[in-house]
Parts: sequence; C-alpha cells; structure tokens
Amino acid sequence: MTTATLDTWKEISEAAYQDLENVVGTENVSREPAVLDGYAWQPTINDDPAKWVKRPVAVVLPSSTEEVQEVVRICNRHGLKFKAFSTGWGVYSGPTYDNVVQIDLRRMNRILDIDERNMYALVEPYVCGAQLQAEAMKRGLNCHIIGAGPACSPLASATSGWGVGWDGIYMSYGHRNLLGAEWVLPDGELLRVGSSDSGLGWFSPDGPGPSLRGLMRGSTGALSGLGIFTKCALKLYPWPGPSRVRIRGLLLDAKAEIPENVRFHLCFFPDRNRLADAVYRIGEAEIGYLATRTAVAAFIYTFAPHLLRRIAGTSNLRDVLSKGTKWGFVIMLVGASEEEIDYQDAVLRRILADHEGLSIEAMGVPAIGSMVFMNFFRVTAIPMVFRMGGLFSTALDRNDTWDTQLDWAEIGESIKRKWIERGGILDDLADNPFMALYESNMWAHCEEIFQYDARDPKHLASLEPMFIEFSIAAIEKCMEPLSATDARLRKLVSPLMGHYNEWQKKLSGALDANRAADTGMYCDEIDFDFSKVEPELKAKLDRLTEKFRWTEEGPPS
Amino acid sequence: MTEKSALLEKLASVVGRENVTDDEGLLSTYRRGGAVEGGEPLAMIRPGSTKEVRELIKLARAEKYNLVFSSSAPPRLRGDSVPRGEGIIVDMSRMDKIVRLDRRNKVALIEAGVTYERLIPEVDKLGLKVLMPLLPKRGKSVLASCLEREPIIIPKYHWDMTDPMLCTELVFGTGDLFRTGSAAGPGTLEQQWAAGAAQKNPMGPAQTDFVRVVQGSQGTMAAVTWCSLKLEVKPRIHKIWFVPDHKLERLIDFTYRSLRPRLGDEWLILNAYALATMITENGQEIPELAKEQAPWTVIYGVSGYEYLPEERVAYQERDLSRHAQQAGVIPVSEVPGCSWKKMERILAAPSPEPYYKTRPKGDFLDIFFLTTLDRVPGFISVMEDVASEFGYPRDRIGVYIQPIQQGRNVHLEFTVYFSPEDRGKGRELYEAASRALSEAGAFFSRPYGIWSELAYARCPDTVRVLRKVKEMLDPDQVLNRGKLCFTPEEVS
Repeated sequence: MTTATLDTWKEISEAAYQDLENVVGTENVSREPAVLDGYAWQPTINDDPAKWVKRPVAVVLPSSTEEVQEVVRICNRHGLKFKAFSTGWGVYSGPTYDNVVQIDLRRMNRILDIDERNMYALVEPYVCGAQLQAEAMKRGLNCHIIGAGPACSPLASATSGWGVGWDGIYMSYGHRNLLGAEWVLPDGELLRVGSSDSGLGWFSPDGPGPSLRGLMRGSTGALSGLGIFTKCALKLYPWPGPSRVRIRGLLLDAKAEIPENVRFHLCFFPDRNRLADAVYRIGEAEIGYLATRTAVAAFIYTFAPHLLRRIAGTSNLRDVLSKGTKWGFVIMLVGASEEEIDYQDAVLRRILADHEGLSIEAMGVPAIGSMVFMNFFRVTAIPMVFRMGGLFSTALDRNDTWDTQLDWAEIGESIKRKWIERGGILDDLADNPFMALYESNMWAHCEEIFQYDARDPKHLASLEPMFIEFSIAAIEKCMEPLSATDARLRKLVSPLMGHYNEWQKKLSGALDANRAADTGMYCDEIDFDFSKVEPELKAKLDRLTEKFRWTEEGPPS
Repeated sequence: MTEKSALLEKLASVVGRENVTDDEGLLSTYRRGGAVEGGEPLAMIRPGSTKEVRELIKLARAEKYNLVFSSSAPPRLRGDSVPRGEGIIVDMSRMDKIVRLDRRNKVALIEAGVTYERLIPEVDKLGLKVLMPLLPKRGKSVLASCLEREPIIIPKYHWDMTDPMLCTELVFGTGDLFRTGSAAGPGTLEQQWAAGAAQKNPMGPAQTDFVRVVQGSQGTMAAVTWCSLKLEVKPRIHKIWFVPDHKLERLIDFTYRSLRPRLGDEWLILNAYALATMITENGQEIPELAKEQAPWTVIYGVSGYEYLPEERVAYQERDLSRHAQQAGVIPVSEVPGCSWKKMERILAAPSPEPYYKTRPKGDFLDIFFLTTLDRVPGFISVMEDVASEFGYPRDRIGVYIQPIQQGRNVHLEFTVYFSPEDRGKGRELYEAASRALSEAGAFFSRPYGIWSELAYARCPDTVRVLRKVKEMLDPDQVLNRGKLCFTPEEVS
C-alpha cells in the first residue's frame, strides 16, 4: 500500500482553509498536525505502520450533503484533492496524495428512514452496522454486517469498499444490497442513482435504462476515487426473533438469552471432499442465516491469543486443531416458525449424516451458546482479530464457486506455512481462512488471514514478498487478486483482465475533469519494487503476465 | 452498383453474403414493435462469432452505420429493436450455442441466440430449472430477456436486478472486447473452468460493473455475445396454489406477510382478465372465463427439494396458511378453468404461439414500470380512470403484479387489448395512460418508446452522466442511435 513522507507535504493555503471554514464552521475543520496525523494511521492492510499513510492537509466534518458538495467544489477550485472517511478501518480510508482534504463524515450519522414493509433503510455514511441492526430488529428486520464488524459503516461497504460477511448466505453482499445512493460527483455535482433521482423513492437502484450503479463500483468500490456517497438505501432482511436480545456483560464475557428460533451448529467433516459436497447440499436446500468456514484456531486466537501461542508449541494439540478439526463449518439457522426451524435443523442433520459430518449444536450448550450468539449475529468478535499480533493482513482472491474458494484456502495455507517456518509471520497454525457463502451458495468467498507483529522487523520485511506471492498464486488460478485496489497490483493485472483500468481511467476523466478525487485506490498505477522479491518469484510473475496478457483478440488461448 | 448493394457488399465482407439480407418480409418485423413505429431497417445481418460482431462494429464506426442488435424472434413487443430512422439489424440468432452446463455449480453459459424453448429441456436433464419471466414468447432470447430486466416469477431468487444473469462478454461501441464478473480473467473460459471456476460471480472486474450499465441500455452501450446464467434446483415436489379474492388489499397484505420470510417459490398477482387470458387459448372464451374468476388472484408455488421435500412443503403450507388466515384470504388448488397442475405447466414454459396476449383481440399494448407493492392500488385507480375516459372497459384491462427483489418492489404491468384495426385508439389510450401513470409516480425503469421522454424528464442528473458514459463507450453513436436519452446532437 502507499507510504507517506512529510518531505513533499505542504500546508493548505490560507484562502482554501478559509473557504472550508466558511462552509462547515471553524469548529468543524482542522489543520492541526496532531489531528491530521490521527487520520494518517489506519490499522488494516497497513504493510508498514512505521511509515503511516499520507497526512491530509486539512480535515473537515460536513453535516449535510450540501456541505459535502461545497467542500468538493472548494477542492476543485484550489487544486486540492479530497478523500472521504466514514468509520475507517484500513489504509484505503486515508489519502494517497500530498494535497488531500480528508472529509470525515462522522456528523452524518442518521438513519433517515426504515421502510418496514418494503424492507429497506435509508442511511447516512456514519451509521454503523450495530446501530442499524438494533433499529431494524425492533421491526422484525436485520441488516447485513460485514466481516470487519458492527462498528463499520454499511454505506461505506455497499458503495465504496467490499462487503463480505458471515450472513452472506442469507443477506448477500454489500453492493447487491443497494437500492439507491446519493452521490457527490468529483466536480461537486449531485447524482442520485436509481428511482430516487426521479423523486420517486428509494426502492429501485437501476435505471431509467442503463444503471449508473455500474459506474459506482464493481466487486470492489472506488474508495472515494470517484466521489462521495452521502446517503444510500440498503436492503433489510427478515429477523423473526426478539426485538432485542437481552445481554449481560460485555463482548467475550457477554451472556445472551438465545432466541428459541435459532440453532447454531459447529460442524466437522472428515475431509475436504465431504465438506465441499455438504456445503453444496446446504446451498441447494436453501437453509442457513449465517455460515462460515473459519478454522478453530482462528476462534482460539480471537478469544484467547496466548493460549493459541502455547498450543502452537505442542505437537499433539497442534495436530488435533490443524488436522482433527480442519474441515469445520459453522452455520446458524433461524426459522420464522417452529416448523421452519425444525425443518432446517432436520435437513442439516441429514446432510451431516450423508457426508459423515458431526456437529455440536452450540445453542444447546448454554456456556458456549450464550457467548457465541452475539459474536456471530452482530459480528462482535471479528475486530478482536488484532489481538494476536497487533496487526493482521489478508489475501483475497476472486470469489467464485465454493470449490475454488476451498482451493484458495489450501493455497493460502501452503504459502503461509512457508512464511511461518521462516519466522516471517506469527504461527496461527497456517490454516486460517475467512470463508463465507453468498445467496445460498450462489458463489463463495475466501480470504486467507495472517497475523504479524509490527514491532518485528522480520515480519515487516515479509509483507511485500508475501503480497506478491499471494498475487501470483491468484493469477495462476485465473483469479483476480481482490486487493487489486493497490496501484501496483492494478498495473500488473489490468492487462490480464481486459485492460479494465483503461476504462476506469476514462471514467475518472469523464467525471473528474480537475482530478479532484484521490484516485490512488481507484485508477492510479505505479510500479512494484521487486527488490525484496525472490528472483524466481519475479520470473514466475513475468511468465504468468505474458501468458495471460490480453491481445487485441481478447484473452490468449 | 447502387447504394443499397454497396451496403450489402460491405456487410457481406464481414459475415459472408449468405448472412446478409434485405428481404422485406424479414425487415418488416423491425418497422414496428410495441408502441414504437417508424423504423427503417435497411438490411439484416447475422454474425456467427464475437470476432464478426467486433468487425461489424468497427465497420459501422468507419461508415457511420446505426446497428440495432436483436436476438429474439418476432413479434417485437417493446420497440427497442426498431431503429430510430434508418438502421441495420444485427440478428444474433446464429450465435445459439449452449456453451456449458454445470450441474454442481448450477450455471449455464449461453450465447445470445439461445431461446427459453431451447434451454429449458437441456437444463431439465440435469435436474435444474431456468429462472423465467412470465410466459416469454417462444422465440425469446434468454440473454435478451435478462438484458431487458424482465422480471422472473420467483421473487426469492431475485436477489438483485441483474439476476439471473451473471457474467457477460461485451463488445463496446468502440469495438473493444470486455468481459464482466469472474469471466473477466485472468485466462480464457477454458482455463478458468480447468481451475474450478464457473463464471458465477457477477461483479466487477475490479471497481466497475459494466454489465449494469449495459443491462437496460437497449443495445446502446455494447453488444452482448454470451452470458452465464444462474440456474436453480428443480424441486422434487412442487405444487401451485391460488388465492382468489375480491379485495386486492387483502392479497397485498398476504403477499407482504409471506414474502418477508421467503415463503413460496413462484409468486404473482393477476386480475381476472389477465388470468383468463393466460389459461385459455381460445380468445372467445376469455370474457366469460374472466367473469368466473375473483377480481384478483395470487398464484404461488411451494416446493420441496432433495432433502426432506415433504417436510419442506408441509411447513411452508402451514406457515402460508397461517398468513392467509391473518390476511383473511383462502388458498385453493383450482380456479375456474384452471387446476393447479395446469397452472404449473403454464408457468414452466414459454407462451404457445401465437403469443398469449394476442388471444383476446389480436393486438395489445403493455404499460409497465416499477413501484412498491403498497402503491399498486393507487396506480390501478389511475389506469382505470384513464381507460374510462377512453371508453375502454375497466374489466378488460389486464393487470399483472410481479414482486421482485424478494418482495422489496414490484413490476406492475397493465395490458390493453384491441383488434389490429383499432390500433390507433389503443395507442391513444396507451399514451394517455403512460403520461398519467408517470405523473402519479410510475418509475419507467425500462423506458421504451415515449416512456424514455417521460422517465428522463424526471432525472436530468442521471441524463447528464449517462451521456458522458455513452460518449465513452460508443463515441460514434453506432449502437441503436437515438434511443433512450441519446439523441446524437445532445450526446456530442
């Protein structure tokens, strides 16, 4: 990812700063270095936290769409760039240029409407998943919460980021949940996508005619490289349980009263094939509210990182976890009626029996059930992934069939094993995928997570070579490395995929004549520094890019 | 050499003389479609490969041709393939390969010319089913149906507006080739299959979704040569239920209650006349049969799959009956003239020939748009009022309500039927009703003919950006020139 230096950083001009103050008020704009640097450090996908991301020249906190438009226009007038920030999480939320105004949207934090019958909500950027879920539950509804957890903005993931979550089996993917969006274009003009632009409500995201949703984002968002989203309508999904779950305690210590219409199975299969087949059957049976394959070791390092470090040092326990429970699968069932939950439960048990699987029904084990329920239902456990080493990163592939995602988990494990043995990353027993299903397994997701300690120079030195190794592995499997928001990777893979970035650059040119958006995460291209990469890997990458580079005729056969 | 023969020669240089024609019998079907009239097709050309499509677009750029892509057989129902002024029809029906069927991953990869009639039996052999709109015409291209966002009749499988279409191959108006979703690469389709992929992820590549821009564009942004298509499991047990009632509001209540927990498979609401039109092939019987029906009927299906099929049907039927009771309606297994078995057959196949909407009077026009279910009664009142003004009997309007996006909104469709000699009057009613419905808040998301003028007048910001995109993807305006909001002078 990008690295920052203050060598080229310059203070914002007095005139530009004055203009910003005039729009949002003096109390909602800052150029204090300490404040600015607060934005210049973001934890996730940060391959070298010592360098931080670039320091913005100012931070503004608009409170309305009109103020966002004005701030963007000021950037256009003064030759500045802008970068939106809502709930943050990773370096992709920070600037990649020296002259960027960070537009912090935290004052825009309202749930504007919940249409209960038609199952959608209209939200502002700083509404977080937990906030929306709590309101939705009061109406018998729920919302998709991404893997990064309930503190994240659903608007950000649906419009600008990624959007995967454990509930994807029932609640799809961020972008596919969008029913409309209000979009401040890079020139400050306003566009609403879908029926809302015709003043007819927020129920339909496409048309009239071609859908401008296709410009906003693809499998990944433009990460503010093509404007700022100030409102969006998101699908809500049924929640047939209680309007609030009674909880005592906090996070890991929390005890929840488990709704009667919920079952939670920790399933284990004897081998990959039987797990793979069973999941295909689960998809076809259309059961499940939440599903994931996450290694048991991952649960342990999340809840008890020191314990995992100890286990990693023992051969017997290590074997039990990395072999005995390797082919695990977690599924939560929710029924709208007693008959439905019984049916889903019976189907799951039949599938398990047919595929020689076993399960622990955790809701029936009060000590476990009451602890895990909210950790899955509200995804509260996930942010604790930082606990083991302080930082983590992840290797994403192209999402497609469940089989390909299981392949990716195995590829990721083998790459990681090598780096664990070299002491390049922490030992999490290597097999640590975050897998999810979308839309009853229409397609699936896998990312391989790895843990590192930013204070260990050896770890920091491993990150770039690992990034390249994962990228090569993805290309070799005909997969788009989904970290293709990285300007270095974009330059490498765009020619292998229809030169897609040429179109992104044209789009950027068409909508952003003054280049006011920070396009570092959207369509910029920079060269890799291959100096830290083994020559054989570099040679392999060269061979692959040559093999897959599109010609005038398309992909070479 | 005449101008016409010179044109035919140039086209023949791309696809061969045998695939170019100016036969008036064939061209005449492109002079009128739905309410759109006045097309002047100059020739029809039938490419056989993506390569030929690309060469054709390059030729069109050089020669300033207007190419109108069409994949389905007549009748032309919407007018999107009727050129605005002169145009060359690009008939994609030669590209009709079912490239791949994948049972495990429930996906097909099909070329543009594959019709429902052709695809259904092949998919059925694998124990899968095609997600279909209501009674598509027999020669309807599956890909064209998806590109036109025709609503499928099983709302629970309609997660997003691109469904059931997944990945596509596009040729932009620049002549550039592009692939969307996981088909984008790296690698050829064959290399991707060898790696276990099946072109199932519809998003991307990377940070755009050009398929969404092309869908609904009426062929103005790109030609689409193939797509992957999600399929679903064919049920082990399947039963259709009818819920007739004289109050639409009760059926709306029942629909909201039932679709929220994703009960049912097929789910649609018809008024008496639309239902009668579907269930008898004898047009003369329709008025009487319509009188025997309740004014409104919900039709829904219940399915059991591989595991515990009887139990699935049982819980669904119990839950649905509970919702029916709460809504004050009663599911039954037949309505006059139609058993559940007969309806099951009707819903599972394309329309017999001639197209079913011609049964009452020989000709018809549809008006359809998107809205939410709770707003449907208001639009029905508007439509009935306009019909009354024109002396058209209210009870002869066909009304079809199709929940989509898992019940979050609906496709609402009115049909007016008339004899071919009354087409002028029918058009007047159609235009007046379209305007009145637009004023009442109809969202013409698929703006054919005069609807584009109505729809785009409401959203100038969308128009401004769409024109920029058009300029980018089709700078010489060679794709379906003048359609939507792309009148040449305004774009350039």
